[in-house]
Amino acid sequence: MGSFTLGKYLPLNSCIHKLDPRAKIIAMLIVLIAIFLPAGWLGYGLIALCVVSLIFLAKLSLKFVLKAMKPMMFMMVFLLVVNIFVIKTGFVIVSLGSFAIYSDAFIQTLYIVVRLVLMIMITTALTATTKPLDLTLGIEDLLKPFARFKVPSHEIAMLISIALRFIPDLIEETQRIMKAQTSRGVDLKEGKLKEKIMAILSLIVPLFVSAFQRAEDLANAMEARGYAPGAARTRYKVLKMERNDYILLAASGALVIALIILSIL
Amino acid sequence: MPIRFEKVSHVYSDGSPFTYAALKEIDLEIAEGKLTAIIGATGSGKSTLVQHLNALLLPSNGKVEVLDRIISSDEKPTKLKSLRKDVGLVFQFPEYQLFEETILKDVAFGPKNFEFTEEEANAKAKKALAMVNIDPSYYEKSPLDLSGGQKRRVAIAGILAMDPKIIVLDEPTAGLDPQGAKAMMELFKELNTKYGKTIIIVSHDMEHVFNYCDDVVVLEHGSVRCHLSVDQFFKDSKWCEELHIIPPFVIQAKQMLKAKGIEIMADVKTVDDLAYEIAKKVKN
Repeated sequence: MGSFTLGKYLPLNSCIHKLDPRAKIIAMLIVLIAIFLPAGWLGYGLIALCVVSLIFLAKLSLKFVLKAMKPMMFMMVFLLVVNIFVIKTGFVIVSLGSFAIYSDAFIQTLYIVVRLVLMIMITTALTATTKPLDLTLGIEDLLKPFARFKVPSHEIAMLISIALRFIPDLIEETQRIMKAQTSRGVDLKEGKLKEKIMAILSLIVPLFVSAFQRAEDLANAMEARGYAPGAARTRYKVLKMERNDYILLAASGALVIALIILSIL
Repeated sequence: MPIRFEKVSHVYSDGSPFTYAALKEIDLEIAEGKLTAIIGATGSGKSTLVQHLNALLLPSNGKVEVLDRIISSDEKPTKLKSLRKDVGLVFQFPEYQLFEETILKDVAFGPKNFEFTEEEANAKAKKALAMVNIDPSYYEKSPLDLSGGQKRRVAIAGILAMDPKIIVLDEPTAGLDPQGAKAMMELFKELNTKYGKTIIIVSHDMEHVFNYCDDVVVLEHGSVRCHLSVDQFFKDSKWCEELHIIPPFVIQAKQMLKAKGIEIMADVKTVDDLAYEIAKKVKN
């Protein structure tokens, strides 16, 4: 778990941590829209500047945020390979007989990579500064207006919060079972295909068994305490928008407007 | 050859806000052929310590010597896999590691991983299952259909089948009924005396430590507080008092008798022996 930082909450004390989760979610969505505007390199530079200063304000280390990119590395390489074969515009960089690599392949990939990196940075900035529970509270509130379209906002929020709640448990459980099976001679890294399949099986079966067991226990515990999905309930934590939240929203709004202007020009 | 820890430290998530030093410069020598108990409060580093024994965890600093192999931070342990065969590690609630279709297959899984043939592995599995008192009629059943205690025994058989020289058990009796726990401890004692296995048990149960173990290692905040023979440890009431441990029943009775002026010098382990000694005292 040590190297896995994507989506992990970091309990630090910064002004970003104290913001209302609703404001943070909306701001993130706005920045995501901005990332997808075709505003060119100047636009990306502007977004990057904002995102980096946000990360700086949140007292997160850039190393932590960059670590979150690791799982995306494969996807980026894959994209590059696909683009090399597909894109045939721009000037030729290398040609091997009938096969040629064009400059646009790299530029296009770079565009996508920059977008991905910015997206990961902004989402990491959100998840690292917001407790999972606050995040779901925020989502629930934001989905409330859709109730008239029969969107079960509370149920969705409950689902998300339960799922988030169990991620660390399942990671821990996986590591535990991995260690137990390693002690029985399982080698998860090496071995023939058949041995590898066996190794993965020895991990997945116990994991499923315990996940279902947990789910059943949790369902029973919730029922025992009278949980009913549709019932009206009060909240322990009431969200309240404050000055800083509006500043964040205004800033992200300004950013997207700047990007729109840049992309029209 | 004893198991030797030399200035072993282990730090979790070094360099992050979650960094935590679980072991701090541990120096420890665990004798071969003995049944050693490791005790200590939650978070004292017991589980971290035992995971070093088969190189599941590598020390952040220092080195561990186990069966002629050296486990340290910088060098990859040589013959890692054979070490795992020779040091069987049973985790807390090992029943969660069962996954095969039948009990026999599950127990034979370990030996098969260590290059034993199908027949050899099955023979070893049958022997191990007999040791933990699982009847042959169960061999073809699914391990998931067993009761909690049976599952635990099958899981332990899965380690015994590898025929390890050292067996390490992390709270093997947690969650078992008293009879089941007693049978389990008797099994470990037998493995120790009859088969000459070195056994290390992490335990919270002082009755078990007192009745079945030879030595006791007390961990506190990632350091070794003391390492004594079980008799010495319980003889001196200061240890139990300092460590806030409720002594075993027989020791408590002895202390109460002493307070009333009846001192029993002999090392008694069972209630019967204690009664005998009291009777002897009374007759005199």
